[in-house]
Amino acid sequence: MAHDVHAMAQPKTRPIIEVRNLRKEYPVEDETVVALERVNLAIPQGQICCIFGESGSGKSTLLNQLAGMEKPTKGGVAIGGVRVSTLSERELAAFRQKHIGFVFQSYNLLPNLTALENVAMPLMFRGIPKEQRERTARAVLKRVGLGHRLSHYPRQMSGGQQQRVGIARAFVTKPEVVFADEPTGNLDSKTKSEVMTMICTFARDFNQTIVLVTHDPQMAAYADRIVTLLDGRIVSDRTNQPALSLSAPSQPSVTRPQPDLSTNQGASR
Amino acid sequence: MRFGDILRLCRQNLWRRKSRTILTVLGVIVGCCSIVLMISLGQGIDEQNEKMLTSMGDLSIVTVYTNGGNGGMMAMGSGASSSSASSDVKLNDESVKSFRAIPGVSGATPVMNFNYNASVRAGSAGRYLYDYVQIMGIDMAQFEQMGFKLKDGAMPVREGEVLGGEWLAYDFMDTLSNGAMRSSSRGEGCMWNDDTARCEPYKDEDPYVQPIGAQLTLTTGANYNGDPYTQRLYGSGGSGGASSSGGGLGETQNTTADYRVTGVIVADYNKGFATSDGIVMDLQSLKALIAKVDPSAAKQRTANYDQVLVKAQDMASVPEVESQIKALGYETSSYEDMRKSLEEQSRAIQLILGGIGAVSLLVAAIGIANTMVMSVTERTREIGIMKALGCYVRDIRVMFLAEAGAIGFLGGLIGCMVSALISLGINLAGMTYIGGGMAYSAGGSGSGSDSANSIWTMVWQAIVGGDDVTRYSVIPWWLYLFAVLFATLIGLLFGFGPANKAVKIPALDAIKNSE
Repeated sequence: MAHDVHAMAQPKTRPIIEVRNLRKEYPVEDETVVALERVNLAIPQGQICCIFGESGSGKSTLLNQLAGMEKPTKGGVAIGGVRVSTLSERELAAFRQKHIGFVFQSYNLLPNLTALENVAMPLMFRGIPKEQRERTARAVLKRVGLGHRLSHYPRQMSGGQQQRVGIARAFVTKPEVVFADEPTGNLDSKTKSEVMTMICTFARDFNQTIVLVTHDPQMAAYADRIVTLLDGRIVSDRTNQPALSLSAPSQPSVTRPQPDLSTNQGASR
Repeated sequence: MRFGDILRLCRQNLWRRKSRTILTVLGVIVGCCSIVLMISLGQGIDEQNEKMLTSMGDLSIVTVYTNGGNGGMMAMGSGASSSSASSDVKLNDESVKSFRAIPGVSGATPVMNFNYNASVRAGSAGRYLYDYVQIMGIDMAQFEQMGFKLKDGAMPVREGEVLGGEWLAYDFMDTLSNGAMRSSSRGEGCMWNDDTARCEPYKDEDPYVQPIGAQLTLTTGANYNGDPYTQRLYGSGGSGGASSSGGGLGETQNTTADYRVTGVIVADYNKGFATSDGIVMDLQSLKALIAKVDPSAAKQRTANYDQVLVKAQDMASVPEVESQIKALGYETSSYEDMRKSLEEQSRAIQLILGGIGAVSLLVAAIGIANTMVMSVTERTREIGIMKALGCYVRDIRVMFLAEAGAIGFLGGLIGCMVSALISLGINLAGMTYIGGGMAYSAGGSGSGSDSANSIWTMVWQAIVGGDDVTRYSVIPWWLYLFAVLFATLIGLLFGFGPANKAVKIPALDAIKNSE
């Protein structure tokens, strides 16, 4: 099953995320534990891809490899044609600024910054002046329905509101790829669907690629495609009719030009 | 990331942990204060030394003598720098001329001291007596160039006219009232006046003899042992004191001469004791006197001089002038050596004091490091998040360094202000309780101005100093600058380790689903 990945992705253009023959092992005392083995994956632009699996299946490890948090033992990951594992620390930071957004399970907002400042933070890292970045951030916060909470601190907000701030922060830079690691793990079921709907709406509107890591089948149902991991191997890879009806265009990647990531990344240095 | 943004984050982070920041800054304040105050005490010693040297007289005077001569005439003969010069060199008019030709020399005069006992009497029938008077002969033509100053009166012009030392008038005793003398404070010290709230100079008694225009009758001789009145008064001479030592020669004639004082010279111990309590006359007059007193020795005595005073243009050119004269084969002495040793001494004291101050600043620096380490540990997750969202490693390092530097800078700044206040307090306390500082106004008439004015004068003098003020703690402007920079630097230095620790935190830590 895992070997059919390329066939079913039908890449007319190059996929935005390409994983080739990935292997990751960790040394545990005298033994080595293999967390990922021979993972091949290609995700086209605009797809909402769910990496599904039980805890310990290696899905978090895969996400770390994709986002360049860890170096793979073997094989490689390319995002927009850039080999993430070969980037220096500084290049990686610049790459993340431009092309990648994160939504975390535990929101990971900075406690001493207001909602507005938290959302504007990725833009601040780029060196965008305060007024300009806060204007952008305000617009995104209004979109997630928090226009009235701009100057609230994280501790003054509910979990759902905090995660909406987290989503605004992930999308404020209009990244090509957003990694969402159990984004609903800490939320109740009503808020869960709110948050998932929000993520998917953003992704559809800007043709962004979402990599969603979850162990919750309910959440996986929002994805276009569900890749199931078991013991570090892909055991199933199937398309899914998303539960969300608003996902009207099935293959938007064909209609929109793919940005040249390598030149963007070079300019940001 | 813009530097302004980094500073804003840094301010937020410092403010977030107010009490910890304040305590750490407090540590730096104490450290900065101790180092500034310690150095300021050392600077105070410097200033006091400088004042002391200035009060000793003209520091640009170099005393020249030959190897055989006695150069120990100097009030404090500390710097008898001896180079083994040949004893053949002579100090005569020729050599004085050659000294004047040396660049950086503004004047040179031979100095002759009258080496016989002499006494002067003044007043009607010689009522007032000054026994064992010192007589110095200088080249009056060089008076101005040598930096001598007239306090009052005029220069001697005619034969038999001389200058008196500044306090000569107070050296006379009244032979008709059992040798009583009139006292003078000699311009030193002051007395606290409660009415005007200031320290006022003592009021001197009127001297027996008004110096300007005083007619002096001088008595001397080769074997003269002093005035008979003194010998009677103190019972030293016994009977017939004049003949006590003169075995072979028998009775020698005493010589008398009349002089008129035309002016009073400003005392300068570095140019000779006679400027204070003696008689200063022209070289030729003194030579004539010696010829009269001791004709046999006069020829050899007057051809060569015991010592020559050379005045350099300023204090800075003293070492150069000294070395030039030494090159001619003479011995020299000046306050330069003493100055040097005083400077070295105070440098050593400053080093010790500064070291003590540095220890407390080191403790403060460890405090900064501790605060920063804690801060990094607490913010591990935050740093990971920032990295995951694409914050440059450099920005994270700069952020932590800025926090540490800000603590140092703040501490240094406040520390400087506090030290300024403490220094002011030390000086005011010193001026009030120990004395040495006199806050009287220039006119000296304190009756008109109110005491509040004088308090401000005192505060002003405690800060900037003054001619008649002893400051124990002196903070020059560069010390403030240095202290602030140093404290900031210490902060940066000790923040470097924690900042590096922060930089090494992997972005992965943020993603781990803890909490």
